[in-house]
Amino acid sequence: MKKDSKNKFNAPEGYFENFNERLMDRINYEEMAASGSLIPKSDGFRVPHDYFNEVTPTILSKISEENPKVIQLKSYRRFYYGAAAVAAIFVLIFSLFQSKTTSPISFDDLANAELDAYFESADLNMTSYEIAQLAAFDETELNDLLYTNLEDDMIIDYLNNNVDDFELEELNLDNNEND
Amino acid sequence: MIAEETLVQELQQEESRAKAFEVLVNTYKERLYWHIRRIVLNHDDADDVLQNTFIKVYRNIEKFKGDSKLYSWMYRIATNESLTFLKQKSKKLGVSDQELKDRMAENLVADVYFEGSEIQIKLQKALATLPDKQKLVFTMKYYQEMKYTEISEILDTSVGALKTSYHLAVKKIETYLKEH
Repeated sequence: MKKDSKNKFNAPEGYFENFNERLMDRINYEEMAASGSLIPKSDGFRVPHDYFNEVTPTILSKISEENPKVIQLKSYRRFYYGAAAVAAIFVLIFSLFQSKTTSPISFDDLANAELDAYFESADLNMTSYEIAQLAAFDETELNDLLYTNLEDDMIIDYLNNNVDDFELEELNLDNNEND
Repeated sequence: MIAEETLVQELQQEESRAKAFEVLVNTYKERLYWHIRRIVLNHDDADDVLQNTFIKVYRNIEKFKGDSKLYSWMYRIATNESLTFLKQKSKKLGVSDQELKDRMAENLVADVYFEGSEIQIKLQKALATLPDKQKLVFTMKYYQEMKYTEISEILDTSVGALKTSYHLAVKKIETYLKEH
């Protein structure tokens, strides 16, 4: 119990310790009564001292950490020109090398029509035997030739074009004559 | 105070962005802080969320089309960041969203940055019982003293629906305060 040294009055234990709290409660209740509402006008939150002055530099430093500025210690312009020149030389050499090393035209690159035209027009001076040696027939191709049934029209056309003095009547194709 | 349109233009140009961003932070830090604080309640959490909000604003300022006002766009980011923060916190603690809200209100007693009396603690407990949107509407209207049109732009809700939400919130809070 606290005593006033001059007036000898006493105050209850802890009276001054929670005085502020009780005062705020009373203010709140009076405000609420005046507004006709039970809801207090203040919600009681506070911030640390100087918080709003300190938060700006904190946010700005976080932003600059995200976007570090690139500081050039020396000019790289000469280096860029040198690098561009070297790159240009490489491109030139590569393109020349490419054009020289293009593979020569092979036999496979010729179209069949070009080959046919060549064999028809050129005088090869080759015997049938030589051609047979060059042209590699395998067995299946040979069998195709031997056992394929040729149409009569195809045979007659071939004979007309390749055999001199050929007359159709000489072949006795009419089966009735054999009877 | 710099006009919002000019500020947006300066923020979207790289050469003026840094200076304009400082202006933006200084202009809105207090308003956004109080908005966030009333959602997450604790000062340290509010500080984290405020910083994240401004970092998000900085990262996305080039995408800001100007369809809404800059401040309502930032409030929206702050709201989303705060609610996401609470979701992550409840997940981390392994408690339900409601349980976390109740705990947050109870922890205010020991919070050095809360000087409310018994009635304010009760108020926070009452607010913890409201759905997120009702609580947002109530605090934005009652404590942040925002206009319904401003809240409407931030929460993308019609003014009529906001008024209904607000009156429902007031009724629920008053009933809670009477009963407890």
